[in-house]
Amino acid sequence: MRGARISRWLIAAPMALLALATIYPLVFTANAAMKTRHDYVLDRFSLADSLRWDNVVTAWTSAGTARYFLNSVIAVTGAVALLLLFGSMAGFALSHLRFRGSRALLLGCLAALFVPFQVIMVPLVRTMADTGLVDTYPGLILAYVAQFLPFTIYLMASYYSAIPAEIVDAARIDGNTTYGVYLRIMLPMGLPALLSVGVLNALFCWNDVLIALLLMPSAEHRTLMVGVTSLRGQYSADIPTFASGVLIAAVPVLAVYLFFQRRIADAVTAGSTKG
Amino acid sequence: MAPAVLVIVLFRLWPLLLGVNFSLTGDGDRNGVVVGLDNYVELFADPLFLGALRNVGWLVLLLPVAVAIPGILATFIYLRVPGHRFYRSVYFFPAVLSPVIVGSIFNLLLSFGGPLNRLLDVLGIGPVDWLGDSHVAMFTVVGVHIWATFGMALVVFLSGFATLDPALLDAARSDGATLPQVIRHVIVPGLSRTIQFVFVTTMIGMLTSMFGLIYVMTSGGPGGSTYLPEYYIWIQQGQMNRPAYASAASTVLFLVMLVVGLAQVSILRRTGRED
Repeated sequence: MRGARISRWLIAAPMALLALATIYPLVFTANAAMKTRHDYVLDRFSLADSLRWDNVVTAWTSAGTARYFLNSVIAVTGAVALLLLFGSMAGFALSHLRFRGSRALLLGCLAALFVPFQVIMVPLVRTMADTGLVDTYPGLILAYVAQFLPFTIYLMASYYSAIPAEIVDAARIDGNTTYGVYLRIMLPMGLPALLSVGVLNALFCWNDVLIALLLMPSAEHRTLMVGVTSLRGQYSADIPTFASGVLIAAVPVLAVYLFFQRRIADAVTAGSTKG
Repeated sequence: MAPAVLVIVLFRLWPLLLGVNFSLTGDGDRNGVVVGLDNYVELFADPLFLGALRNVGWLVLLLPVAVAIPGILATFIYLRVPGHRFYRSVYFFPAVLSPVIVGSIFNLLLSFGGPLNRLLDVLGIGPVDWLGDSHVAMFTVVGVHIWATFGMALVVFLSGFATLDPALLDAARSDGATLPQVIRHVIVPGLSRTIQFVFVTTMIGMLTSMFGLIYVMTSGGPGGSTYLPEYYIWIQQGQMNRPAYASAASTVLFLVMLVVGLAQVSILRRTGRED
């Protein structure tokens, strides 16, 4: 009994410490954002004496953060909408429509999952430059769709294949065309999976820095993540304002995480265990 | 068959071949001229690229740590230590943050007078120049990468545990097996597929998703000590304007990933058989 209690502490203590190490960095940053520059230089560790939002306001207005934020929202919204549309259509086709080569097509999508972005990034930039898509929203959105579509198709196809073929057959007997089946059966039944994969894709696109850095070189087209890296140079002597910028970029992600925690975890593991 | 072939060629083989082909041509004055293996010869004479490959070697050596931490934590959570639900969501949350945000936060934490050095000070160890010392910086960046991603692997492990037969655990317990024995004889063999999956995805993650961290935290420095192939590719493509040379580096990265991936799978298969 005694031995069991001691070993339980041996496990619980490191786990609690690790949880602290996971949360503390964000708390430190949030605290720094609420301090005056003077207070931060004087003592980084003391708690901010009050919730001061003027650093956040400075970071939002003076550094172009508002503009970067909007750019990110445009790119993420466009990319996620297209990903869900294409992903659900292709997922339905690959799981329920038998046509010549459908199996090989699914394998092709799987294969694409294993080609890392770095390997195709040089040809991608060249193709985008040749077609005049560099530094445009459609170019960035297309790059995100190309990057995350294989994963989206794969998840949608494995979700849809759990829907019995009888339901599809019944809908057809009721006079639905293939598009009718997609719109009336597959789209509504796939909503939970669409939500999961949509949230995950939104996070991927929002958090990306490499693709945005490559394809949106001009200052007014920067996404928020690229913007945060430029904030660092601009406010290297003003840590509270820099910390505020980091917070602005992190808060939407944290909100999404708090609301959709389970869905994100589900989408991550759905891609892993069946892979 | 035609569409399937098209997708595989378009997504997988075409960009790869385009890149390989492109890597055999020259840049700048020699744009479009076939130069044979010149780029590769130059690549393997560049100390920065060789340093990047050496860092890949370090990643391979640190890989077991990056897999063991989430594996052990998942085991404790699965065995329902007190607060396991709380730990699950806390540990997972850094995984949704962008590398840019994580890197920015750790730039504050690791500064000379920052919290980590303060902690070392309390313990009586001198301050460490985490990002400015060329012998330390690479390990710092990898450490932060592990901090940011272990939650992802943890969730994958937990979904693997869900497929484990609980009767086996009960049997082991009623036979009086200790925790290390349970891990060695029940959990590890039962999860061999999951462990294999985590090994491969963690390695791919280390080779392809540390760009943001390196970009924000060290920019490859000090003295080029934190270069990874993907960062090198980006520098050559984006900063040096040498796309053909960057393609050569991409091709090498792809080969490295292929070799490392195949080696891992075969090693894990062999150890799996011994059990």
